[in-house]
Amino acid sequence: MRKMKWIIVFLSLLIALPVYAIDGTALLKQVDRNLSPDSYESYRKLINIEPDGKKKEFTLFTVKKGIDKVASLFIAPASEKGRSTLRLGDNMWLFIPNVGKPIRITSLQSVVGGVFNNADILQLDYAAEYDVEKVEEKGGEYLLYVKAKTKTVAYDRLKIWADKKNVLPTKIECLTEANMLIKTLYFKEVKSFGGGITRPAVIETDSPLYKGYKSVMIFAGIKKRDFKDEVFTLTFMPNLESLR
Amino acid sequence: MPRLIRRLILFIGFVLLLPAAGLAEESYRFDISEIEKKPYHFGGYVELRPVAYGLDRDSALYKLQYYDQNRGATLEEWNARLQLEGSYQKGMGRLYLKTNTDYRYASFTGGVERTALFEGYGTLKPSDSWKFEIGKKNLKWGKGYAWNPVNFLDRAKDPNDPEQSIEGNIMATMDYIRSFDGPLKTLSFTPVLFPVYDHMNDGFGVNNRLNVGGKVYLLLYDTDLDLIYVVDGSRTARMGMDFSRNITTSFEIHGELAHIRDDRKQVLDADGVVHSETRDAVSGLIGVRHLTTFDLTTIFEYYHNGTGFSADAMENYFGFIERGYELYRTTGSARMLTGAQNLAAGGYGRNNPMEDYLYLRLSQKEPLDILYFTPSLTTMVNLNDRSYSITPELLYTGITNLELRLRFGWIRGGRETEFGEKPNDYRLELRAGYYF
Repeated sequence: MRKMKWIIVFLSLLIALPVYAIDGTALLKQVDRNLSPDSYESYRKLINIEPDGKKKEFTLFTVKKGIDKVASLFIAPASEKGRSTLRLGDNMWLFIPNVGKPIRITSLQSVVGGVFNNADILQLDYAAEYDVEKVEEKGGEYLLYVKAKTKTVAYDRLKIWADKKNVLPTKIECLTEANMLIKTLYFKEVKSFGGGITRPAVIETDSPLYKGYKSVMIFAGIKKRDFKDEVFTLTFMPNLESLR
Repeated sequence: MPRLIRRLILFIGFVLLLPAAGLAEESYRFDISEIEKKPYHFGGYVELRPVAYGLDRDSALYKLQYYDQNRGATLEEWNARLQLEGSYQKGMGRLYLKTNTDYRYASFTGGVERTALFEGYGTLKPSDSWKFEIGKKNLKWGKGYAWNPVNFLDRAKDPNDPEQSIEGNIMATMDYIRSFDGPLKTLSFTPVLFPVYDHMNDGFGVNNRLNVGGKVYLLLYDTDLDLIYVVDGSRTARMGMDFSRNITTSFEIHGELAHIRDDRKQVLDADGVVHSETRDAVSGLIGVRHLTTFDLTTIFEYYHNGTGFSADAMENYFGFIERGYELYRTTGSARMLTGAQNLAAGGYGRNNPMEDYLYLRLSQKEPLDILYFTPSLTTMVNLNDRSYSITPELLYTGITNLELRLRFGWIRGGRETEFGEKPNDYRLELRAGYYF
């Protein structure tokens, strides 16, 4: 009987342990790494879709290094070509060739209009901006409740649904401090981009603040690449094309 | 006037409806060819800009401009612009050219065309830290939106349209960039050689000088800082600094400070005698940019122009024009008016020639959930004579590569004030620009 009790205790521990063993921070970091390498280049298309079906497309070349450096160059359409954006931590700038000098922009603005804002387009690692409050397991998914580390982060809270098998997000809800929904990101079409990178190729977003509107981000290519820190400077912004 | 408004409405309808027909057929694609990099690039911009001016026939600058012509109450102007640009890149080298052709047809002056090479330079980029450029280009120094007192080596931009591209100057520049960990994240140095000789930047200042200047940029404690210096040459020595910093995610502050040694200007006294004044001048700008949660962007700037004219000096100038106009009416002599035109070219006629200005621009992004639609309101106030302009504007960019802007400029001020003496009381302008 005593032996039986020990077996029950042992089995209970086995069942209970995985729940308490989930290290939320490590899980969030793994989500980040599975979405993209630490340092990479990528090509993306952003599509804003209006309720009547009208679309506007933007093509971007993006480079990222470490947890807080990311820069993007607009390749198309012609009206945006040559524009570039830079993010260093909380600092963001937009360079417009005609204006000729980088101007500071904010994370809540959107250089492309539509549902994606600058923080979505110049996305840093989630773990760099958010702390994990708790993790729940929902069938084949983790649900991470994360909270912004500082007031300067675009969204106060996120709810991240991540697929257990691939540890990749399937859905993210962006919330205010009072848990009001700002937008939802849907991660779709997981595919291999080569170099060991397998991630969703499409991110769709909608927002109760933009009823009927939808924005889509499509990844055409993503590959690991190292850059010098000097690439992520204001002075370099007019020269991002030279990295392609 | 109603005829022009009818034409403008027809024109707006035409440009709005034409591309919409094509949009219905548009479908989404992401071809790999879209991201393939070619060594060359061609592109451009074409613009049509009809303008209607409501003329103020009692204003000094109207009399100065049209003293020998009998004008009506309105002036219709059709402006067209074509910009072509191309580049070729091979290895660490790149060539870039941008031409600009402006055509203006006014209802009573006929057509005038001007073509210029706006930019044309070669770049050599041996590494991510080094860049060398030589040719015709702009530097665009400064952080201000409407004015840039530290932009010592470029042509002045138009504060009524600060994002308009402007013609460059011939120069040689170098960029050296270093990045660091710690409070100083970036340091870059940009020395400039700026020649002024016959047929080379010859309108800039004293001829036959090789001017030397430079800028040091720092990203220090999350603040952009520029330190700028131009040595004595075609113009007197001048130094400046600017800064820009985000106080919060939605609030930015910026400023500029410029010191110009021995600034010289021609000033008219009450008797109509021109004096040359030389003194050190300090100009400055302080501004903020703020974004609300409902996407209202506010840009607010105060500008002190240390090289500007006082209210008394401007009153003397406007009085001089009035006396010149009376002389012309009574004797037919345009001697004084010609003198006044020369003084305009010497400084009185530049944009914002006085000392203290406020600039406020409010732009509401996508109100009523209308994507790509941005209405704005801009006002510029001359604090010295209390004259001002108010410019409401509607901007629509919903059609790929097409930009439509309708603006109305309302210009107000008493007699002998900057805005009150402008040749027009209002202007209605439509700009349709297409990028290709």
